Amino acid sequence: MIDLIAQSLFSGLLSGAYYALIALGLALVFGTMRVINLAHGELVLLGAYVSYTAEERLGLDPLASLPLALMVVIAANMVVYYLISLIKKDRELNSLILTFGIGVILTNAMLMIWSADIHSATTPWYHDAVILFDTLFAMQAELVFAGAGVVLVGAVWWWLEKTWYGRALRAVASNRDAAKLMGVDPRLTEILSFAVAGLLATVSGLALYTAKVIQPSLGHNLTVKAFIITVLAGIGSVPGVLLGAVLLGVVESLTVTIASSALQELAGMVLFLVVLLLMPSGLFGRAKRRG
Amino acid sequence: MSSTKITVSMIALAALLAAAPVRAAELKIGAEIPLSGSLARVGGAMNEGIQVATEMFNKKNGKHTVKIITMDDESSPAKAVGAVEKLAADGAVAFTGGYGSNIIGPASEAAEKLGKVYMTSGGVASELTKRGLKTFFRINSSEGYARALMGLYGELGIKSVAVIYSTKEATEEVAKMLETGLGAKGVKVTMHAFDPATNDFKPIIHKIKLQDRPEAIAMIGYENDYVGILRAAKILKPDIKTITGVWSLATSKMAQEFPDLMENVSGTSTLSYPAEFTTQEAKDFAETYQKMFNKAPDYLGIFGYVQSKLLFDAAARAADAGTLDKGGIATELRKTVTDTVIGKVRFDQNGDNPEFTHRMGQHQGGKVVLVWPADAATGKIKYPGLPW
Repeated sequence: MIDLIAQSLFSGLLSGAYYALIALGLALVFGTMRVINLAHGELVLLGAYVSYTAEERLGLDPLASLPLALMVVIAANMVVYYLISLIKKDRELNSLILTFGIGVILTNAMLMIWSADIHSATTPWYHDAVILFDTLFAMQAELVFAGAGVVLVGAVWWWLEKTWYGRALRAVASNRDAAKLMGVDPRLTEILSFAVAGLLATVSGLALYTAKVIQPSLGHNLTVKAFIITVLAGIGSVPGVLLGAVLLGVVESLTVTIASSALQELAGMVLFLVVLLLMPSGLFGRAKRRG
Repeated sequence: MSSTKITVSMIALAALLAAAPVRAAELKIGAEIPLSGSLARVGGAMNEGIQVATEMFNKKNGKHTVKIITMDDESSPAKAVGAVEKLAADGAVAFTGGYGSNIIGPASEAAEKLGKVYMTSGGVASELTKRGLKTFFRINSSEGYARALMGLYGELGIKSVAVIYSTKEATEEVAKMLETGLGAKGVKVTMHAFDPATNDFKPIIHKIKLQDRPEAIAMIGYENDYVGILRAAKILKPDIKTITGVWSLATSKMAQEFPDLMENVSGTSTLSYPAEFTTQEAKDFAETYQKMFNKAPDYLGIFGYVQSKLLFDAAARAADAGTLDKGGIATELRKTVTDTVIGKVRFDQNGDNPEFTHRMGQHQGGKVVLVWPADAATGKIKYPGLPW
């Protein structure tokens, strides 16, 4: 049983880091602009499909397709930003409807371009086994992108906390007019926020393509997962995203081992509700208020 | 004119009318099918079979023609009901298509209310044929899939099986049938349900490896589930002798897309790959399919073709009998007993095809070899045989 629990915790940690990677882009835009980008999952999927095309047509390794995928996804996210910027009234609510619509359009565009067939990376290296201490098993891709998830969470946190642009972004989120008076260009910082979110979506897409299976209908589920983690974390909290994602991953994985996989999504939702009941501002939202 | 002359004239006119040939009809058939959403891939493949059946019918019938009106149900039960109602309003006399028992259920009830036949191969849950509907027909069922798996296990003398199954209605039903059927034969069965959103199967495979220690693993899910399960199994390498599954597994697409995962994996299959067609009808079907879609047919296309062909033939006979609008299609389908590309088909009072039994195919060297039953086999099963 100890072996089972150990593997379960290990799988949960890897899943958590992967979830964090997916949620970070959505959390960043949500935290800085109060915009919930409901097309975020579709953008992740777009990155995955660009990687698939590069591998299938050009024979590129999925990691080597990163620059190409970055260009496509960031450009797509810029279009999303442009459309959101046209909203003059009730941006929080109207952006929800707008990005939901963009998500539907993207899903159908991917369906038309790439068909509904399932795809996954064919480079064997990504799926080779890694065995740690003779008891913990994973795929190479899972370890690589879990590491990428942790590093990117740290990098985004550092960027927001320690750099001028990061502070400018938080200032715009806090009080747009006051930030303007301080010489911050709100439009530029928001564009930057969407560009970084596009970068994060692209890396998530590569993780998805190499370690899992992609199909056009997956985007919505990714958005929902990312949204749950964002709320769980506490709005605007980057470390909260990592903690919330890992917590979710571990709870889901332990549920499979101790009870049944059929209950893992339910367990995740119960965790979500319990956290919100006890800490209505999310894991790190309350901690910040106390501070 | 005397009354005698009038009577004779009336009788002569009636005789003439009765003897007049039935006019050729354009039979409008509605295809309600998922072309977008989560079931888009399977819906698209079935739709190809429907198009081929239409092409072949129109080429061969010589009298009636079929016009297909297609509506995407977007993989949604509510949209499927709307599609059926819209298709009926557009003049459809019957419906072919449908995928997913949870979608087919309400869609076929809408068809029943309209008094029109609903024909499918996309919903295998037994509940569908226990509703007492008079206009619902399907050519396959859960029993046929479970029978094939149990038949193969029986032939191999397997004594213990771990069943990994999705909690969707159809997959859960096949899994329960396996549990009951294999249990009755003294086979030790352990069950592992998984949520359809699951994409990391390592914890399940690890439990199977350390606790269950079965001789075989049965996967009852869909393509993305199979890939996840096989990848997890390839990493954890449980000490089993064979790994099997049901639909969408022993297919040319899986052989081409995931060659590193599929070797020695078995699944239900109607055809070997590359396909070997023996009857004239099957050869014509394959040729038309190749011409229309520039590829070899897969099992979903074959099912779509068979269900539609049977429906078109029944509609044509009903048109000949002048009963098209009077429940004639259902009557003609109930009279149907025929050999098809998937084997014998007849319909019982519930619209089920009790003759349906699937075959089992195994991936071997990039091909799919039919390995069960013996009379349909195109090769021998590799046992023990695993992808790693």
